[in-house]
Amino acid sequence: MKKTFLDRHRAGCPDHVARASCPPPNQNQAFILPLAAATAEPSLFSPEFLPRLPQRLVEMILTNFGVPDWLVTIAGFLVAAGTVVAVFLSAFALLSLIERKTLARAQNRIGPNRAGWFGILQPVADGIKMLTKEDIVPAKAEKFLHLLAPILIVVPAILALGVIPYGREWTPVPLELGLVFFFAVGSLTELSVFMAGWASGSKFPMLGAMRAISQMVSYELPLIISALGVIMVSGTLSLPHIVDLQGGFQLGFIPSWNIFTPWGLFAGLLFYICSIAEANRCPFDLPEGESEIVAGHMTEYSGFKYALFFMGEYLGLLAIAGLFVTLFLGGWQAPLPGLGFVPTWFWFFGKLALVIFSYLWIRATYPRVRIDQLMRFAWLCMIPMALLTLPAAGIWHFTGRGLLSWVVVLPLMLVPWVIVAVIFNRRLATTTRTYRFADT
Amino acid sequence: MTPLSLMLTLSSVLFALGLLAVLTRRNAILVLVGIELMLNAANLNFIAFWAFDSPTAHNAVEPALSGPMFVMFSIAIAAAEAAVGLAIILMVFRHTRSTDLNKLDSLHG
Amino acid sequence: MIPLLILAPLILLAAIGAVWMARPVHAALMLALTLALVAVLYLALGAEFIGLVQFAVYVGAVAVLIVFSLLITRRGDEAEEIERRPKSLITGLLCTVPVLAVLAYSAIFGSNIKLIPWEAKLTIAELGETLFSSHAPAVLALAVLLTAVMIGAALFAREPGKTPEDPAEK
Repeated sequence: MKKTFLDRHRAGCPDHVARASCPPPNQNQAFILPLAAATAEPSLFSPEFLPRLPQRLVEMILTNFGVPDWLVTIAGFLVAAGTVVAVFLSAFALLSLIERKTLARAQNRIGPNRAGWFGILQPVADGIKMLTKEDIVPAKAEKFLHLLAPILIVVPAILALGVIPYGREWTPVPLELGLVFFFAVGSLTELSVFMAGWASGSKFPMLGAMRAISQMVSYELPLIISALGVIMVSGTLSLPHIVDLQGGFQLGFIPSWNIFTPWGLFAGLLFYICSIAEANRCPFDLPEGESEIVAGHMTEYSGFKYALFFMGEYLGLLAIAGLFVTLFLGGWQAPLPGLGFVPTWFWFFGKLALVIFSYLWIRATYPRVRIDQLMRFAWLCMIPMALLTLPAAGIWHFTGRGLLSWVVVLPLMLVPWVIVAVIFNRRLATTTRTYRFADT
Repeated sequence: MTPLSLMLTLSSVLFALGLLAVLTRRNAILVLVGIELMLNAANLNFIAFWAFDSPTAHNAVEPALSGPMFVMFSIAIAAAEAAVGLAIILMVFRHTRSTDLNKLDSLHG
Repeated sequence: MIPLLILAPLILLAAIGAVWMARPVHAALMLALTLALVAVLYLALGAEFIGLVQFAVYVGAVAVLIVFSLLITRRGDEAEEIERRPKSLITGLLCTVPVLAVLAYSAIFGSNIKLIPWEAKLTIAELGETLFSSHAPAVLALAVLLTAVMIGAALFAREPGKTPEDPAEK
């Protein structure tokens, strides 16, 4: 078999990546490690080890009590999954508060500050309110689907959180096909949004569900196509390996993250915009905009089911922001050369916090996009631009990934972008408004 | 019964169910549901033979990936065909305001 | 074998639901369930990539497409029950049962070839290389097909006699 690009990857790492920060992929162990083979792990009480501590402790205690091995494995796995869920549920609670405070500050007011010191107990108050609300189900609703829909919105978000690498050699489930798993699981959300809308049995949820589905399906294409450039350049679908390949520094101090490449800049921007649309966030939150369509597909839900929708949306936002950080911002890699002593999960969650803050900032700043503008933007503007990043990534790779590549690829991407953007804004952005879906 | 026989039986029953849906349903879109079931039954067949029968032991000329390769193309083509079929049904719906196949009899003698 | 034994009855039940249920949206959702269970079966058999692709394409796109079209072609708030006509069911069974008999007979009693079990593993690198080197003409033909389908479906779905609408109506 002739030597291909993949053979060079299998032999080690590409030349531009410092060898020390690019271990071969099979060293990325899952949580399910036998304790004796933990040679690649840092010491037990270093800050790098902190996320693995609950699982290792439980495994050590259970092995001491003579529990059989398979049970120890299962218990360790449950504790690991529980850690991920606990961390992200508290992140969700904190995020709901931080969002309200940030939006408030952007609107020149103070956010919630009654429920504790600076409003820190506001998520607890919200939780108690949601749990004690009456659970109203409309008479014309389909009971089973009405109950199933919020559950089926939370489950894919939590599943997707399992394949993201949060630190060096710390991915809850390091699948070889991690990226495909993420997208497959994300497309389950569309069906559950439909179920939520249709099972409610009234017009607003149905309209909201149809709009939400068309938006999610339309923006899924540029999302996946811009991730394709990363897959092409990294040669792998496994997320830990993609992060490993973004180690090292160019010119001594610029990190080799995918966003600091000529194609990655544009692909990252596209991925970012599509992730806002996929998560139904402002400016793409027409399916749930209060002034437009009450609450869209969530109209007929109250109490804890509404809280589940809320939770599913925020967990999905965290998951896709985590994917953006992984694919384009270098995951857990440090931004400057000398910072190796800082635990890697700190960098990941720091970058994630910055990306989420930018989402909140955008929500506070931009007005809502109309449904036809939204669709035309996706199909007529974003898909051609996303398709353009693919040959750009190829040309970047084959011209040596250095300064020459920048000189060649950057005009190749910029000129069509400017042309498409100008044409789109002048002639294609708006159309006469027809209320097509309200005719039924 | 070997696992392979069980899977082939499962795929034949799925095929028969899809055929029943195509023959009995009145809504045009539910006929498409039957077609998708039949395509899935065929895909199951390919994966069954790939999973339970080692290709290299029979001096196979093709590589060991014939099953999954065919299934990939089949899935892509099925998606394309579903899109075109649904577009056609939508056009018909616009003309006749109905998806009932029994009402589309203007060419009936 | 064990995943197969658990999943096979579930797949059959879901498929029977897809074929038998009266309301179209219920039938479409049962189809989505059948496709999801078949994807799980692929994952259990070792064809992981195919299972995930089945999930993403069939459950995430085709089922959504079918459900969306059912919503668009509803006729107001009428009851969506379709009435059963025993004559069509009997005719359908008359055509289907022989097909089933022949297929099932050949499945159970017809496999005389000597089967050699192996550890079925689908390496994604091998799949990619085979797909784009020896099967490249097929991939190119598929690309042309999908482009034609997209353009054709968008053209079909346009309302006649108006300004070009958004191509999102698939």
